[in-house]
Amino acid sequence: MTDVDKVRGKLPETDAEIETFLRDAFEENYETLKLEGGQALTPYAREMAFEQVLKYWQKLREIAEKVTDTEVKLTLPEQTTAQGRKYAIEGIVDIVREDERTIMYDIKTHDADYVRANKELYDKQLNVYAYIWQSLRGQPLDETAIIATAFPNTLREAMGRKDERLIEREMERWNPLVEIPLEQRNVAETIDEFGAVVDLIEDKVFAPPPVSRLQEKVSGTGSIFARQVCRNCDARYSCTSYRNYAAVASGSRIEFKFSQFFGDLGSDAERTERIAVNLEFAPPPESVDDVAP
Amino acid sequence: MDTSLVIDNNMPNITIEDLWAEVDFNPNISQRAAILHTDGPLFLTAGPGSGKTRVLLWRTVNLIVFREIKPEEIFLSTFTEKAAHQLKEGLRALLGLVTNHNGRPYDISKMYVGTVHSLCQKMIADRRLSEDRRRSAAPVLLDELSQYFHFYHPRQFQSLMESAEIPDVESINAFFGDLYQGQGSASRHQAVMNCISLFNRFSEECLDCTEADLRTNDEMLKRLLKMYGAYLQSLAPPGKPAQVDFSLLQQKAFEVLERFNGSGHVFRHVIIDEYQDTNAIQEKIFFKLADGHQNLCVVGDDDQALYRFRGATVENFVQFPQRVEQHWERQPTKIPLSINYRSRKAIVDFYTAFIERCDWCHEDGGGHYRIVDKNINAHSTDDRLSVVASTQADSSDACAEIARLVRQLIDDGKVQDPNQIAFLYPSLTSALVQRMKTALEQVDLLVYAPRAGRFLEVEEAVAVFGLYLMIFGKPKKGDFSSRGYDEFHAWMDNCLETAKAILKRDKQFARYVSERQAEIETVLSDYQALLSVVEKNGWQLADVYDIDKMKRKLFDAPGLSAAAKKTISSSYFDNVVKRRIEEGNPFTLNYVLTSATSLDWSVLDLFYRFCGFDHFKQMFDLAEKGKDEGPVANLAMITQYLARFMDEYSPVLTAGFLTDEKFKRSFFASYTYALFRRGETENEDADQPFPKGRIPFLTIHQSKGLEFPVVVLGNPSKRDRGPQFAEKTIRPLIDREGEPLERTSEFDIMRMFYVALSRAKNLLVIAHPKGRGISRPHTHIAAALDATFPRIPNLDLEIIPAAKPEDDDSPRNYSYTGDYLLFQKCPRQYMIFRKYGFVEASSQTQVFGSLVHKTIEDLHHLLIAHRERARVNQ
Repeated sequence: MTDVDKVRGKLPETDAEIETFLRDAFEENYETLKLEGGQALTPYAREMAFEQVLKYWQKLREIAEKVTDTEVKLTLPEQTTAQGRKYAIEGIVDIVREDERTIMYDIKTHDADYVRANKELYDKQLNVYAYIWQSLRGQPLDETAIIATAFPNTLREAMGRKDERLIEREMERWNPLVEIPLEQRNVAETIDEFGAVVDLIEDKVFAPPPVSRLQEKVSGTGSIFARQVCRNCDARYSCTSYRNYAAVASGSRIEFKFSQFFGDLGSDAERTERIAVNLEFAPPPESVDDVAP
Repeated sequence: MDTSLVIDNNMPNITIEDLWAEVDFNPNISQRAAILHTDGPLFLTAGPGSGKTRVLLWRTVNLIVFREIKPEEIFLSTFTEKAAHQLKEGLRALLGLVTNHNGRPYDISKMYVGTVHSLCQKMIADRRLSEDRRRSAAPVLLDELSQYFHFYHPRQFQSLMESAEIPDVESINAFFGDLYQGQGSASRHQAVMNCISLFNRFSEECLDCTEADLRTNDEMLKRLLKMYGAYLQSLAPPGKPAQVDFSLLQQKAFEVLERFNGSGHVFRHVIIDEYQDTNAIQEKIFFKLADGHQNLCVVGDDDQALYRFRGATVENFVQFPQRVEQHWERQPTKIPLSINYRSRKAIVDFYTAFIERCDWCHEDGGGHYRIVDKNINAHSTDDRLSVVASTQADSSDACAEIARLVRQLIDDGKVQDPNQIAFLYPSLTSALVQRMKTALEQVDLLVYAPRAGRFLEVEEAVAVFGLYLMIFGKPKKGDFSSRGYDEFHAWMDNCLETAKAILKRDKQFARYVSERQAEIETVLSDYQALLSVVEKNGWQLADVYDIDKMKRKLFDAPGLSAAAKKTISSSYFDNVVKRRIEEGNPFTLNYVLTSATSLDWSVLDLFYRFCGFDHFKQMFDLAEKGKDEGPVANLAMITQYLARFMDEYSPVLTAGFLTDEKFKRSFFASYTYALFRRGETENEDADQPFPKGRIPFLTIHQSKGLEFPVVVLGNPSKRDRGPQFAEKTIRPLIDREGEPLERTSEFDIMRMFYVALSRAKNLLVIAHPKGRGISRPHTHIAAALDATFPRIPNLDLEIIPAAKPEDDDSPRNYSYTGDYLLFQKCPRQYMIFRKYGFVEASSQTQVFGSLVHKTIEDLHHLLIAHRERARVNQ
């Protein structure tokens, strides 16, 4: 397929047409993904995902309109781990070529504050990508940046309240673009670290991080790992580290407050929002006749 | 880091031989010919273990690198998504190697690699395949389970029957020979399964209903043809997007090809793997696609054809030269890949002799129903003993003898892990399977049998569903009785007993469960309390919610719980209500009642909390240490079924849903019952790699395409039940010369055992049990197992080579974000969601990310198209 192939005959042009186009493409992609992976999203998560696409378009329109190569797959083949396993590194980027300048964007569904606070992590990644692009592919490159599509909490809250003025203000304040300095240092070390992880995965070493790590602050978030990462993980209840963290946090070593630990279903606003969206898009059957005996 | 990656633009051109040398590949003469062949139709017959996949891989590399064929001009269809995935990974690795030499990047993301179904979907949306470069709207695809539910819905099924004047379910089942006490069975499930199997066959044969109707005098068949027509109509309801099932998807794609004049020129090379298992509509598609360049390469082995029951016609392969002649008036190049690199010599000799024991000659003596000149030979020269049978004995003794041998093989280091020994069975429901499992357990060996019997009967599923039954209550058993229905209720009882036993051992767990029961009671009584307020005030549920008038009264409902009061009084909720009024889309009173009395959790939320209790937590602990993956793999599967339920019905548990047994009837009596009755046979593709530490028990169908250092054919017998029903029904309705109907089942059984026998690398063991209730081995196996045949006691383990560690030498691709960063964040999270595919209840990051990215990609494509247009217009 060439680049225009994905688009129907008459191109949607107005903002309203483009939004409709996005909605259609989104639904179609969802159906395809569901089929390929067999996994469905709850209506709530689905709407959240769509909002990220829409707000990306609204906020970063200028960049989006300049993208020349989209979802470019980068591969660093023929790598070998310390234990002798062969593997390849893959990544996907978007490219803007404009007036002799080439910029590489990595779109992530992460939040920008987190990216800024953990820049080192992202530096490494984009430098590996830049290495593949420049050295392996022999392509020019002038800049790299991350586009972080997840919303900052303030914007999310405004959206939850559906307060248009507040949303507009928060959209203004939101800066999803994080520039990453282009410097090909540490590429070799990063690849070695990557290889070490490959060995761990293949050796099936999957223990969670220790409790001490859970108690550490995650930079850029103002909260600790347990709140930032674990609380968003459905598997935390069965996780030894998280349980130990919870036990320590509740002041008791062995017995901890069960109802508190298991009753954690997010903030009131999140709960209300989740139920509202789910009810709107996928209400339960109303009549007994609709459920087969 | 490998410094050779640094580019040198002055590097001389490389040849394919250089690349072979670099990866240490030494193709034999036929492999070489097959790889380098580029012109015209190619008929590749590939015996077991003949390096077929590698040939396909290199053939594609040759086309892309040395023949300058664009990846998007190649159409390569595989039998499974997994095979497609492996092929793509392999291609990326080899093409990456080429890039290292010549600096040219190769992007295969637009290449057509996948199962026929996924490629059909792609074709329908491909602008290259339409006259005005418009994309056809893609139909919504119903997978097998959705297709099943499409029929199963009581109203739907009733209306389908009515439109065909079929009086009842019984008459359908009677037609298919499913009888209960001499009458057609009353099971709707059975009728649905019967209709689906026949209708899919109709679709795959592109049956013309009007013509078919003229060809039969059978009243019931005529009605079923009508019902099929009604089914097709039901898939395209007015005003809604059209739906297709898997079989119709292919028809739809074929229509797209037929409509467009240039469809034969879009792909320069069409390569079809596992061609022996393709069906009629697929053959039409492939010949159409290759019509322009005639570069149609088919690869397969008629002796390994397994899927007649899904409409596959092995004749597509056996008669490929004639079909090419018919279409294009020429002959394909025929290259046999006949050297087996997999197995020791005696194994190859054994299965080769086996397949030839059957008479494959045409009745008129002219030719064979099989490609006979394949001349399969082992590459191995090790002709020492490698095929043995168990001592002919009573079945439990035979199992015990095999179990001891397996134990010995593991202890002597003949395999690196128990998962290198596979037990293969024609069906996993036979009593022999259970006996063998017990015998292995007696020598402390664990079995992994993902599809043995029903998935819902694995321990983990029994425990989880038992807990749901505890919390929501068991649906009442109706008066009516049938084997399936009774079994299902017995299963639910067993689940409940299991759950009770678990809760008895874990007080906190018991408390957790009773709290949930109480929560359900609360929302139900809240609902009633609110309803009486509505009634007392003479409101209607459909009334618009008026905060000033209604809020206080609802809040004061007698006996209303604190939780419901909180929702009703929350200022957040008030804001939403006001906004909806402003938007002109106000909430109804019913909505307010519903949301105030909905549970905060879904069945999936509940599942993850169950996992926090010791009974389940231990399973995660084992997997974290890489010790036993079986239980978590099963738990992951359960999350997929739960997510499916939420998707088919609703993720929200409202009080309304919980009243009148609606939820119980949906979740247990309908959804779970359907899963239970369907069994798991629909999914034939085995998950791989098999869990460490366990011995895989597979159906022979599941073992297709796999190989193992040691294979035990656990049951060498298979009753010949004659031709399949759908096959018998369809034959008179279509014109096709094929294998004689009465011989199809005999041939199919031969092929099935051939597949089983050819999976072994170092040692093949054939169980030879006898005794009451044990069927005799298949005639042609029995013929081999005579008095002189070596038995297990004759086997000297010394001469069996030790298996190499998982000799999967293909490099794996790891994503920086999806693998590396995720693992770095939390290895356990990586394992659960990425490796085992648990479905997330709340955050759902995996699908979420892909969905956002794919849609942004579409947006970029659109914007790029805008610019292109603008440029052209200038």
